[in-house]
Amino acid sequence: MADGVQILRRNRPGFKAKDFCRWPDEPFEEMDSTLAVQQFIQQTIRRDPANLEAILKMPEAQDEGVWKYEHLRQFCMELNGLAVRLQSECKPETCTQMTATDQWIFLCAAHKTPKECPAIDYTRHTLDGAACLLNSNKYFPSRVSIKESSVAKLGSVCRRVYRIFSHAYFHHRSIFDAFEKETHLCKRFTYFVTKYSIIAKEILILPKLDDETPITPPVGESEA
Amino acid sequence: MKIPTAMDDSSVSHHNGGQVGSQIGVNVNNKQNDEPSQSVQYSIPGILHFIQHEWARFELERSQWEVDRAEFEARIAFLQGERKGQENLKNDLVRRIKMLEYALKQERAKLHKLKYGVELQQGDMRPPPEELPPEPEPAERAQWKQGQQLIKQYLQEIGYTDTILDVRSNRVRTLLGLNNEEQGEDPNYRNYDKQQRDRYEICSSHAMNSMGRKYDYGGKEPRKSGVSTGGGYNEEGLSVQETAAVFANFEFLANQEMDMDEIDDLDAKQPHHAASKQGEEVDHEAEEVLNELNSLTESEADGGGQGDEYPVGKFAGGPGVAAAGAGVVGAGVVGAGGAGGAGGEADEEPLALGELAQLTVSNEPEAYDVASANKESFRKTWNSKYTLRSHFDGVRAIAFHPTEAALVTASEDHTLKLWNLQRTVPAKKSAGLDVEPLYTFRAHTAPVLCLAMGAPRSEECFSGGLDGTIRVWNLPPPTADPYDPYDPAVQGPVLREHTDAVWSLSAAHGRLLSSSADGTARLWAPRAARPLLATLRDDAPAHAAHAAHAAHAAPAAADFADAGARAAVVYRDGTLLLYDLETTQVVMRVSCDSPMTRVRSHPTLPLLVTAHEDRHIRFWDGVSGRCAHAMVAHLDAVTGLALDPNGLFLLSGSHDCSVRLWNLDTKTCVQEITAHRKKFDESILDVAFHPLRPYIASAGADGLAKVFV
Ligand SMILES: [Zn+2]
Ligand SMILES: [Zn+2]
Repeated sequence: MADGVQILRRNRPGFKAKDFCRWPDEPFEEMDSTLAVQQFIQQTIRRDPANLEAILKMPEAQDEGVWKYEHLRQFCMELNGLAVRLQSECKPETCTQMTATDQWIFLCAAHKTPKECPAIDYTRHTLDGAACLLNSNKYFPSRVSIKESSVAKLGSVCRRVYRIFSHAYFHHRSIFDAFEKETHLCKRFTYFVTKYSIIAKEILILPKLDDETPITPPVGESEA
Repeated sequence: MKIPTAMDDSSVSHHNGGQVGSQIGVNVNNKQNDEPSQSVQYSIPGILHFIQHEWARFELERSQWEVDRAEFEARIAFLQGERKGQENLKNDLVRRIKMLEYALKQERAKLHKLKYGVELQQGDMRPPPEELPPEPEPAERAQWKQGQQLIKQYLQEIGYTDTILDVRSNRVRTLLGLNNEEQGEDPNYRNYDKQQRDRYEICSSHAMNSMGRKYDYGGKEPRKSGVSTGGGYNEEGLSVQETAAVFANFEFLANQEMDMDEIDDLDAKQPHHAASKQGEEVDHEAEEVLNELNSLTESEADGGGQGDEYPVGKFAGGPGVAAAGAGVVGAGVVGAGGAGGAGGEADEEPLALGELAQLTVSNEPEAYDVASANKESFRKTWNSKYTLRSHFDGVRAIAFHPTEAALVTASEDHTLKLWNLQRTVPAKKSAGLDVEPLYTFRAHTAPVLCLAMGAPRSEECFSGGLDGTIRVWNLPPPTADPYDPYDPAVQGPVLREHTDAVWSLSAAHGRLLSSSADGTARLWAPRAARPLLATLRDDAPAHAAHAAHAAHAAPAAADFADAGARAAVVYRDGTLLLYDLETTQVVMRVSCDSPMTRVRSHPTLPLLVTAHEDRHIRFWDGVSGRCAHAMVAHLDAVTGLALDPNGLFLLSGSHDCSVRLWNLDTKTCVQEITAHRKKFDESILDVAFHPLRPYIASAGADGLAKVFV
């Protein structure tokens, strides 16, 4: 891939799938693009998706709002993979509501008035809504600096996104496991929201995925 | 001559005064004497400021004058059109009066003959001159035809027929340019559009040929027949009008003698003519316009213009043509301005007319084509109108809906999204005037790399991904809500024969052509029970060089060529192969040093355009394989190529972050737009033209897609 002296990090038409994005890492300090944080996160994930510490180790002097924002973008993007798998199994007939444990029915916030969407619709609507919000020119006009008020919006997206994980975990376990094995996404997400205290611990209803120690179920939370 | 402002410099005014005359000079001097203290205040910065100020003012005024001038010119053109209409009306009435006079004389003669059995000797026993020559009697026909042929031959020799055709259509635009205030949302809009395109496509190929760009079509039937029907259209459909226009222009046959039977004939024919051609007695200008409009107004089933005996009058504001005008305008003349930019165009249009009328150009309905007619300046400037933000990662491919103001984008975030430019989703918590996607297509399990749109009305699109699959999608209706329930029927068949990343797709004639990193290009009938029709693999290398190519070259892109009879496949090693899709054999092989990234075949000519990593765009003769032209097109690798549906313009995108629009005829860049930011070393990944509407679009590694109008 290295073109002699100059490395061009490009995916050229005709590249084999195994060569896609397979270029030498670029040091974060040398990234001069406005998308540097995204580049850096993706590069670290590609190196080893299981190495959560490395992936979530924020470079020095990095704006934390942007860091969290870019990570959430990456989560939502990778969650498309889970949604694709769920589409084949999670049917409106069987999963008529968005549930994880039987304690709560989650209402879909993508509609003008929150609605009791079937799980698959909840999943899709939540991801579509997140895509719109996170790309909104109003709240996130820049990818190098983010207003504090906009950073506050990340929390609700995280809470909803987490329900997709939990629905998959409790209702489509084989899909969840296969996906998790490949991507370590839920682990990374849990690590992320915990590290930055984005979601209250008691909402994280999934058992710890590594040691299988169940966390006490939540006491109350509903869609707002 | 008073010193205009206190800011004025005394020395300047003195200088002025000295130049203008002694009297004024004295005046100025007096003033100077009166205000000696004031001159002391002037300083160089003050002067500079004043000059700047004045300059800015002049610029402002100048631009205002320019606007005024444009308005006046529009007004003049309008009034001239009106006057012309009135004149035609007058001429027509005069002619009718003469006709009646003549008929009266005839009757008198008959009566006289009956009464007295003698011929009446009347002063002038001539029918009034008829502009449109009547159908000749069978006996005369041969002679007539011969004459017509001669004229035609003559005109062809001096290349005038095309000029007439073009001038005529330009005049249509001239006239329509006056009615272009708003884009018609006529239900027939699409009909017009199609007709226009059909008509113009024929004309354009005709004109192109005549412009000295004769191409050998290599004996390919489909295209050839297309051209010959085009010719036929011109011969049969236009010949009468053509000659009429010629006659009108030269007026050397207008005073032709006719015998009396013919007059009767003519009278009998009149109503017929009036119905089918909306009156034949119009001067050449109006007639030309009419010829162009004929099919439009006829198809328009609107009585407004149909029964009108003086069609010319309509150009001064009659409802029929106004509506038709709106239709044509919608089809592109000024519609290129789209929903937003029409106003500016309307101002400019009349300005261009003077020059347009004298130019020989191919007849294209699009505004930018009109603009191209004006070779000195490219009047249509594309401006960014919509930014499509919703993808989480680079947008790899972009394709417009065949008819609607809608498009699909394909991204590395594994999804495709459908966007409707005319329907902005009611902003919820996210807000702004951004277009929100109507639908997100999820099924690929890896980045989506390429995209192709199905035929009009098929409401389908195809996508190819890094996961090696090609997916057929049923497009949700443009009224879909992004938060509708999930409908699995959106997912169509999946083509899984490729064993590696699918990098390019192109659809035509109900078939799909794909190229993949697995070394093959494949031809599909996507919805058939056995969809794979052919696998194109360069596996018969005659000598070492080819063997090397076959061993490690992967196709980068492919496109249908030669009306779907062939496939052009470009490879990473710089080889361009043309496969016969019937035999799957390589029929042409050319190569160059630089890896190719894209290939597009010209919609009407046997011309292939390739994009290269060495910043070049190259043009290949699809018959001889000769490299017709090569140009450094960008500052970095060229990544996207698109030809407008009429084959007059080329759009290119590059990792240098810019989109460039090229005039294919002159190979000059007519506009450059910086459109996307870089992610790693990638920037623009795809560009597209709307097949019917005045939209262009670019897709970038920054996750955005942009639409320009
Ligand atoms: Zn489910
Ligand atoms: Zn919903």
